[in-house]
Amino acid sequence: MRFAHMADLHIGGWRDPLLQDISFRAFARACDICIREKVDFILIAGDIFNTSLPSIDSLKGTVKQLKILREHGIPVYIVPGSHDYSPSGKTMLDVIEETGLWKNVVKGDVVGERLRLRFTIDGKTGAKITGLLGKRAALEKGLYSSLDKEHLEQEQGFRIFLFHSGITELKPSSFQHVETLPLSFFPKGFDYYAGGHIHTVSVEDVDGYGKIAYPGPLFPNSFSELEELGEGGFYLYLDGEVRRVPVSMHPVVRCKVDCGNLTPEDTEKKIVDAISALEVTDALVTLRLHGKLASGKASDIDIKGIFTRLYDQGAYVVMKNLSRLESPIFDEIKVEQGSLDEVEDRIIKEHAGQHQLAGYSPDEQRALIRNLMDALHTEKKEGETVGTFEDRLDRGIRAVLGREKGTSPQ
Amino acid sequence: MIVGQIIGGEFSALIVRKKAEADIELGELLICEQEDRKILLTVFDLQFGSQISQQNLELIAGMRLEQQADIDIMDRNLRNYDLVLVKPLIEIKGKKASISKSLPPFFSSVRTIEKDDLSFLERPKNPLAIGKLRSGSKVLDVDIYLEGDKVFAHHILIPATTGKGKSNLTSSMLWSVLDSDYAGILILDPHDEYYGRHGPGLKDHPSKKAVYYTPNNPPPGEKTLKINVRSLRPGHFNGVMSLSDPQRQALANYHRQYGKEWVSAILLEKPLEHVRFFEETLQVIKRKVMALLDADITNDEATFKGIFSSTAGETTIAEICDGLEGAKTVIIDTSTCAGALELLIGSMVASEIFQRYKRHKLTGRLSMKPVVSVVLEEAPRVLGKDVLEKGSNIYSTIAREGRKFKIGLTAITQLPSLIPRQILANMNTKLILGLEMAPERQAIIESASQDLTTENKAIASLDTGECIVSSNFGKFAIPVSIPFFRDIAQAARAKRREQTMAKDFSGVDLT
Repeated sequence: MRFAHMADLHIGGWRDPLLQDISFRAFARACDICIREKVDFILIAGDIFNTSLPSIDSLKGTVKQLKILREHGIPVYIVPGSHDYSPSGKTMLDVIEETGLWKNVVKGDVVGERLRLRFTIDGKTGAKITGLLGKRAALEKGLYSSLDKEHLEQEQGFRIFLFHSGITELKPSSFQHVETLPLSFFPKGFDYYAGGHIHTVSVEDVDGYGKIAYPGPLFPNSFSELEELGEGGFYLYLDGEVRRVPVSMHPVVRCKVDCGNLTPEDTEKKIVDAISALEVTDALVTLRLHGKLASGKASDIDIKGIFTRLYDQGAYVVMKNLSRLESPIFDEIKVEQGSLDEVEDRIIKEHAGQHQLAGYSPDEQRALIRNLMDALHTEKKEGETVGTFEDRLDRGIRAVLGREKGTSPQ
Repeated sequence: MIVGQIIGGEFSALIVRKKAEADIELGELLICEQEDRKILLTVFDLQFGSQISQQNLELIAGMRLEQQADIDIMDRNLRNYDLVLVKPLIEIKGKKASISKSLPPFFSSVRTIEKDDLSFLERPKNPLAIGKLRSGSKVLDVDIYLEGDKVFAHHILIPATTGKGKSNLTSSMLWSVLDSDYAGILILDPHDEYYGRHGPGLKDHPSKKAVYYTPNNPPPGEKTLKINVRSLRPGHFNGVMSLSDPQRQALANYHRQYGKEWVSAILLEKPLEHVRFFEETLQVIKRKVMALLDADITNDEATFKGIFSSTAGETTIAEICDGLEGAKTVIIDTSTCAGALELLIGSMVASEIFQRYKRHKLTGRLSMKPVVSVVLEEAPRVLGKDVLEKGSNIYSTIAREGRKFKIGLTAITQLPSLIPRQILANMNTKLILGLEMAPERQAIIESASQDLTTENKAIASLDTGECIVSSNFGKFAIPVSIPFFRDIAQAARAKRREQTMAKDFSGVDLT
């Protein structure tokens, strides 16, 4: 049996059009590799898109690749992730499934208040695939707590569990504050656990379980991921052997400059010296400045000039991160670090306790806030009337409030 | 109801002549009511009194036994009676109570205690519920609370003989902690009894703030106890296994040189630079570390079985500490761990939270943090005189300095006499359950916050579920009846079943 395991594509995630294009091209490249490697099927463990309603361009390109895969007889099995799942139930993943270009394996029945998942059987290999989606703030915990694990564990044959959640016991220290689920929620004895959500690369043989794999993103999804991972990739399962396939789109050149005790002018010189020696042709350049300036402030450094210089040297995209650069003038300002989600989660955590919602535990309250934020994040689409947009927004909010506590929206 | 009159004695042992039909028990609370105050008394001994001389009593008994004669001298209620020895505890004036310092008037009447007499016992801001006030074996409908945050920071001792209800007391006390957010509790549970894996337990608390780590097939939603070896520091071994000075130095050098990979470096016999140790020393520490961590060498790589891992559990210790800082009750099931391994796990968590709280104090954030208490079963294993003679450990450090950083111990033991007196005295709250052995009672009485010298018999006669609370934060040694924890947890389970909300299966195709 040969299959590919991808996760966290986040197509449409980058704001920069060039980077957005790379993340899409990474998917195309991965599909090419899968065709070349003659895989039997592809698993995608959530967050294919960065939002439940992606842009037309993101959709168009993705559908095109899926059609190519179909032409080669490679089925695609997915679970929704925390980004492309919508609590209101409106997600473009369903539309694509209707076209038959992929199959969402999160299917089941409720038997005596417990969730009994059904297996999707791959026609060619007989592999039995099931799994659960990911939701914001690990709200999928509710599904896992109702899961009839024994039923899944009794099934015979080659079984794959596809999921989009971090696992507490396997979480690396850099993801300490990311909400995760304990391993005890997962059914035991599967042949392969295809994970997503945690943007880290790991495959572990866990006692009583099996191979639990996280391939990391197909293309890094943030500045710090570019710094840490450099490139994305996915796993190939080849008759029991798990091999990571890197997807190298552009070289990543990391430039970290310590600006401690330097004036903005000296900092500029130091950066120029540092970048002069770098080979940046066609590269994604990450420029991180840190330390406390001796005088002035970050805006006194001619970052624009440095960017121009790097582009002149042939860089493909240049990015900066000044979050660890302190200024003596503004040293009272506390700079939050981390991805947007992490920062938002931290702020929610910090402030949620100030107003206690009756009947909600702190965790439930945080999850509700997060889902409401997502629902309110909905933007008006091109051509959509204000009335339709408001209706859509209203339905999304009602769905969140109704579903959170199992009551009807008021 | 009037039960007697004060007829003599001295301040610490007043004599009360008991009314014939009254029923007074050892440990009972009585009230001597004056115009402007009430004196709360406790019964510490009971004696016979008689108007008839001992010689005549013997004669009457002899005639009854030997000659079946029925002789009555004087009125029945006047000739023989009980004398009750009582001790004044406090004086009550309105809602204020203070230590009693004067004698009640001669012939003062003494009556049974009533709920209204105890209106000075108020519910504190951060209540730690212990149980209901007990007067002898009678239970009054008066809830007894302690100032939870203070009590935990200043250490709690729970001494008791097996079967007297240590676990029940601890469970019901911790149940009450889960009602509020002032304390994070770490329980190292060698009997796997607090979570309630197979029955009612802290898991049933509606707050869902009990977090459970177990190496043995955790119930869905709970966590597998896995700790990454990179989280280990040489100091964690203090008090866990015996190490000579050279062995201790070797551990420190490995840590200094190899950082987080120091344990693997020991196991793989990597060289130490700039220092030399005897080969035997390095072999001994390798052997000890391998045995403790259940480690092996496979293909030139250190591998671990059981709780420790080289790949998983990177965030376990940090998450446990996060839970404690989040006022959760973290239960670690150590029932299948060897004693030393259990102590090592506790040492890792306790050291980490202690360091964190020290930092919080430095940065001025300590006041915003909940108090943390480490519940230690069989406390002399880490706080025993013999253990501490070999060197201090994190628990003795917490016992000494913890309260400055809002970290305390809740030490449970059958043998308090094994704990050094200085540490016992530092445990400012003692929840005393039945203790039959005189040396153990003596150790408690000598280190109690209140004068318990007259309570020796009362402590010896404490039945299961009966407790005496002696605390720096209480006005007097309070007799308490502990609720039956199983009933509390079962009631909560039943309530939860009634309130079960509709489950949310959104996102799953149920067609």
